[in-house]
Amino acid sequence: MAVKKDLSIEYLGVQCENPFFLSSSPVGSDYDMVAKCYEEGWGGVFYKTVGFWIPDECSPRFDQNNKEGLPWVGFKNMEMISDKPTEYNFQQMRKLKRDYPDKIMVASIMGENEKEWRELAIMAEQAEADLIEGNFSCPQMTTHAMGSDVGTNPELVEKYSKAVSQATKVPFIAKMTPNITTMEIAAQAAVRGGAKGVSAINTIKSITNIDFENNTGMPVVDGKSSISGYSGAAVRPIALRFCAQMLQDKKLKNIPVSGIGGIETWRDAVEFLMIGCRNIQVTTAIMQYGYRIVEDMISGTSHFMDERGYEKLDDFVGLALPNLVPAEEIRRTFKILPSFDLKKCIGCGRCYVSCYDGAHQAIGWDEKKRRPTLDEKKCVGCHLCLNVCPVQGCIGAGEVKWLPDKLKKFGDKRNKVAMKHFYE
Amino acid sequence: MSKVVKAKYTAEAVAGFTHRTAMEEAARCLLCLDAPCSKGCPAGTDPGKFIRSIRFRNAKGAAETIRENNILGGTCARICPYDHLCEEFCSRCGIDRPIEIGKLQRYAMEQEKAYKMQILKAPAKKKNARVACVGAGPASLACAAELAKEGYRVTIFEKEEKPGGVLTYGITPSRLPQAVVDQDIAQVKKLGVKFVMNTEVGKDVNLEEMDFDAVFVGAGLWGTRLPDIKGTDLKGVYTAIDFLKTARTKKTEFKPGKAVVVVGGGDVAIDCAVSAKLLGAEDVKIVYRRTLEEAPANMDEWHYAMSLGIGVTTNMAPAELMGEKKLAFAVFNGRDKKSGLKLACDTIVFAIGQKPEDMKKITSAKLNEKGGIAAKSTGKTNLAKVFAAGDIVNGGKTVVEAVAEGKEAAYSIMKYLEKKGVK
Repeated sequence: MAVKKDLSIEYLGVQCENPFFLSSSPVGSDYDMVAKCYEEGWGGVFYKTVGFWIPDECSPRFDQNNKEGLPWVGFKNMEMISDKPTEYNFQQMRKLKRDYPDKIMVASIMGENEKEWRELAIMAEQAEADLIEGNFSCPQMTTHAMGSDVGTNPELVEKYSKAVSQATKVPFIAKMTPNITTMEIAAQAAVRGGAKGVSAINTIKSITNIDFENNTGMPVVDGKSSISGYSGAAVRPIALRFCAQMLQDKKLKNIPVSGIGGIETWRDAVEFLMIGCRNIQVTTAIMQYGYRIVEDMISGTSHFMDERGYEKLDDFVGLALPNLVPAEEIRRTFKILPSFDLKKCIGCGRCYVSCYDGAHQAIGWDEKKRRPTLDEKKCVGCHLCLNVCPVQGCIGAGEVKWLPDKLKKFGDKRNKVAMKHFYE
Repeated sequence: MSKVVKAKYTAEAVAGFTHRTAMEEAARCLLCLDAPCSKGCPAGTDPGKFIRSIRFRNAKGAAETIRENNILGGTCARICPYDHLCEEFCSRCGIDRPIEIGKLQRYAMEQEKAYKMQILKAPAKKKNARVACVGAGPASLACAAELAKEGYRVTIFEKEEKPGGVLTYGITPSRLPQAVVDQDIAQVKKLGVKFVMNTEVGKDVNLEEMDFDAVFVGAGLWGTRLPDIKGTDLKGVYTAIDFLKTARTKKTEFKPGKAVVVVGGGDVAIDCAVSAKLLGAEDVKIVYRRTLEEAPANMDEWHYAMSLGIGVTTNMAPAELMGEKKLAFAVFNGRDKKSGLKLACDTIVFAIGQKPEDMKKITSAKLNEKGGIAAKSTGKTNLAKVFAAGDIVNGGKTVVEAVAEGKEAAYSIMKYLEKKGVK
């Protein structure tokens, strides 16, 4: 029997069958799309952002970044909020909620002023949305009264959060922009305005590629291009950072975070849960692969829980958060030498090249045998070699060498050093 | 879907890379330090460098690396026995399977064509010395190109209508399309090398009467060989060279017969069998006197032949051909001296190696015991101004080795001419 675990989780007072949601984007923009994603297993949807302002979209509007033939390392999107009529979108949401009462409907809204924010919030409540998300973060709006220009202005974030929160009883989530140095300031403003949760990150302002024929960026829209939002696998590390910092912020204590950014696999999703997110949002991977990716998120997370003895998501949500500490708190009293399994070594010399050109010249090269040698004195234990080695299980973590001078400050106390267990 | 591949005679056996698939393959490359693959090429091709160029999106640079070193870069990309040359040395073998070096080389050469690159250029100022090359096959082409790059005036004499030698007349086009050969030869022509076609040295012209400062003989092996058995005079009996040449010249006009037996175990035998099959023969068998292990042909080539539905029988040597004027049966004796085989067939092709033609007509240089030209690895013969390389010297090896030897001979010729004070 396939392993199945209870993936349900409480998020802002709403019981979700699983934490995997579509983020507000092209992937969830009408009844049929959302119905299909529900059928395939998604726990809920942040319906594509609705406003009174209707965008005029361009063609083409997408581009992607690749590396070594691997496409979609990152993805660029110029599409704005829903271009369907406002009322129509709320009708769709209501119909979906009635047809799929166990699935969670989050209405994403975006107004141009307080009045619009209030009216949209009321319409969302009337549409029976479980939650409302305020989009303060779309970086490619053609109006500066909306999107990330709002999200980088804490006063506006607070004002509009207040407008929504006072207009309805539906819990309000503020969606944050990463095009800012410190996300906590805007998040605190949202909470002051009455937001009950935050979600992050929206896309990062970007230029993915330059077209050499038209001398402009990509996509080329009649010879021109614009800066717009970047998403996909490349942004996941940045998203994790923003989410973790908000979760660690004292003023944002107990404010649940919905994690967004480059999530493709169960592993990516579990990472966001491990730092403390209670909800997961996905778009780019769905645009590339379709809704079906949720099957392996559900199955993979179940297997992860099964192998580690977790019965529910709350058994591990936030486990990694306390272990993310400021750089000054990292212990620097030892170095972990790399260990070389010379039976597995295929003699490519990549460790030598990288150690010489990119690190500390600690690896020597036996030209005849085509094998590396380690100069333990020169080696600082940086593990660049381990990261470039193309053979699984060839270079790993080896002996822990204590640094006596530094150890003295700690009274020569040699703790057991915790290390990464599995190198894939 | 058919279990066997149905292909056209002129269709390429293997599709090449696109930009995307080439990049995917280049991304598999480990970019080794002091790359072992680069030591595996007789002609000194540097895959470590050209694959790195492809990986870093510099396909034009990759084409330069290949073409500057090997005038037959496009051809070698198609027919080189990589599996026991560069690819055998590939470090990636230690993980899973080698990088498809030959196919990446083909991709780079295709970019040369697509971008209309002119990589090789002869100096504007020509040297006074004139060199004649006999034959327009791989060794001569390589020698001529190397000399032309340095400004020497080179003339190639070829008895056939088209240049290329074995490349044009002796390999099935599914493996080596004529366009690929032509692209390589075009590079030689653009270097200013003069091609005199339909001209047999020793018959139509006498080199010794012409005032060349040096002569290079890259005549190849065009003497045909039949086994010493009964019935080789029957209709339907071919030598490999005649069979392949007829196929390449007449193309689909050529009807090879219904039941074809090919005798041999080298790439040429497989080319004959593949040609016969692709030209419509109903049943094609290869019969080889030794085992597959001992056979000189690449395993890839055997796989390809079998994928077309060609059968292979090993450890059987031809004993007799039977028939009334026309071939009807071929009889084989087992290597174990116990087994035997009698095959009904209307065509039999003997791909059991070639021998030199009469070299005395071409040069008075000393010959080796097989009737080829006795030359050192430098290409030098016993005559100061006569040089030789390729199959006519080594008795029949690969194209890439002929290229390597032809280049080596060119360096010897240059040294000789410099000593003589040529400017």
